[in-house]
Amino acid sequence: MTPILEIKQVSKFFGGLAANSDVSFHMDEGMIMGLIGPNGAGKTTLFNCITGYYPPSKGDVLFKGQKLNGLQPDRVCKLGMVRTWQKVRPLTKLSVLDNVMVGALCRTNSLKVAREIAHEQLKVVRLDHKADFIAGGLPIGERKKLEVARALATKPELLLLDEVMGGLNPAESDEIIQLILDIKKAGAITQMVIEHDMKAIMRISDRIVVLNSGEKLAEGSPAEIVSNPEVVRAYLGDFHA
Amino acid sequence: MKPAISIIRSSAGASPVAIALGLAVLAGLFLFPQFVQSPYALHIMILIFLSVIMGEAWNVIGGYTGQYSVGHAAYFGAGAYTTMILLQYKQISPWYGALAGIAVSLVVSLIIGSICFRLRGPYFVLASIAVAEIMRLSAMNLKDLTNGAEGILITEIPHLKFGDTLITDFLTKVPFYYIGLVIAIVTILVTWLMQNSKLGYYFQAIREDQDAAHSLGISLSLFKSSALAISAVFTSLAGSFYAIYIGFIDPPTVLALDISVQIVLICIIGGIGTIWGPVVGALVLVPLSEALRSNMIAQGIFKIGLASEESGVGIFLKEHLSHAHALIYGILVVVVILFMPDGVLGWAKKLAAKKGKE
Repeated sequence: MTPILEIKQVSKFFGGLAANSDVSFHMDEGMIMGLIGPNGAGKTTLFNCITGYYPPSKGDVLFKGQKLNGLQPDRVCKLGMVRTWQKVRPLTKLSVLDNVMVGALCRTNSLKVAREIAHEQLKVVRLDHKADFIAGGLPIGERKKLEVARALATKPELLLLDEVMGGLNPAESDEIIQLILDIKKAGAITQMVIEHDMKAIMRISDRIVVLNSGEKLAEGSPAEIVSNPEVVRAYLGDFHA
Repeated sequence: MKPAISIIRSSAGASPVAIALGLAVLAGLFLFPQFVQSPYALHIMILIFLSVIMGEAWNVIGGYTGQYSVGHAAYFGAGAYTTMILLQYKQISPWYGALAGIAVSLVVSLIIGSICFRLRGPYFVLASIAVAEIMRLSAMNLKDLTNGAEGILITEIPHLKFGDTLITDFLTKVPFYYIGLVIAIVTILVTWLMQNSKLGYYFQAIREDQDAAHSLGISLSLFKSSALAISAVFTSLAGSFYAIYIGFIDPPTVLALDISVQIVLICIIGGIGTIWGPVVGALVLVPLSEALRSNMIAQGIFKIGLASEESGVGIFLKEHLSHAHALIYGILVVVVILFMPDGVLGWAKKLAAKKGKE
């Protein structure tokens, strides 16, 4: 079976700085891939390369076997891959419902259909009671949920979540974890998750890729990753290894 | 910070009272020339219609899509010049001339879009100004086509006939009144349709956050260009209408930077990104600028007895106020922008909301 996403020796240079160098891995349908690494490891840059915000300087990104190189983010979204933003980007002056409708309009031209999809997705993230509120007025926990609902409304096959739990309290994080697991259980959507909360990432991921200084340091199951001395060294320094 | 509880959607559509009121206003507008024959009053109304058309048109790209073009004189001038050149040198009726103007403006908008939409924020603003200035200088210097600084003067407007029956000979302002009114209504209708469609949602998504919009499957170049094209069509129509109505154009009156700024002001004063904002803006700005220019303010002051006409202050006001109309106009605009950042309409809505809470 072709993997849903294949990253082949992707490098991204900013001038002389290699934000990603020679990163390769692949994802199978239905799995949750965790992407971790210290600050500045190149996780978000890799997201940007995958979703079309930057063309990779070298290497290929294949989605369902199709090369994405140079495709704009909107085309990538139409193909079925969507990302959320680490720094949330609500359409502040629009209502919560309208925000999600913008996502839903990716697959339909009818506002009526889009409104139905939007209500459905707001129920999925348990934000339906705030549908008529202005997005700019939501607290951070609900903004993160809105990001997810809006992305889900585009009917993706691959969902890339960039630190959806960042800045949340434990109860809110738990809710998001449950949401990610529910999406997996529903079966239609493969997920890649960037996260700093180790407990959460170990709980949800089927496999984990560790980035450090732009390079892939390790890949494996959560159990393999926690016992990998190189990973421990990258996070905690030589002393602990 | 906006309060977290603000809700923007009202569940019901327009209330019956609002619909009845709207129809009454519409009927009043259509009957207006039957009761008011004063050419000056008609002239003011026509200027208001023009401002509404230009404001609504700019609102599509500036208000809804958030791309602040300060070069809309380019489309206004393109419409005006195309119509006038075809009429004066080729004897083509302005009805077709206006359509040709729209075609020219569409081409110009595509060119401007493909250049300027690579840029964001202030760079886009500057580029839009630059392109409009290029058009103005071209019109100044392409003397064979545009007659340069001398401008183009219409000698005669062809009569409008339906078959053999004469509908109007354009000798009074009344036919212009109706044409302006109809175009203004159509422009408002198109804006309303746009707002309640996928286009409206996509335009606003681009305004709120381009990167987020891009990630949600919105092609930035396609939808920004569409917004600019819609905007250009109606601005061009306004330009054609203005040219035929006034009967004379030259580069400073239809292609200058202050036309572009005027267009933006209509929206900013009224309320940006709303259907009725440009209407309110036009209703405020046109009478204001006319009142200042014709020194009605000084006369008003004399009438209510704040100063006598013979006193020193009175003489000063009479002599100088009308000359300073641009200055006063500017100051008033600054005051409105400072104290009503959401425009007159936004301010009125806030006031109404406050009253409703009490």
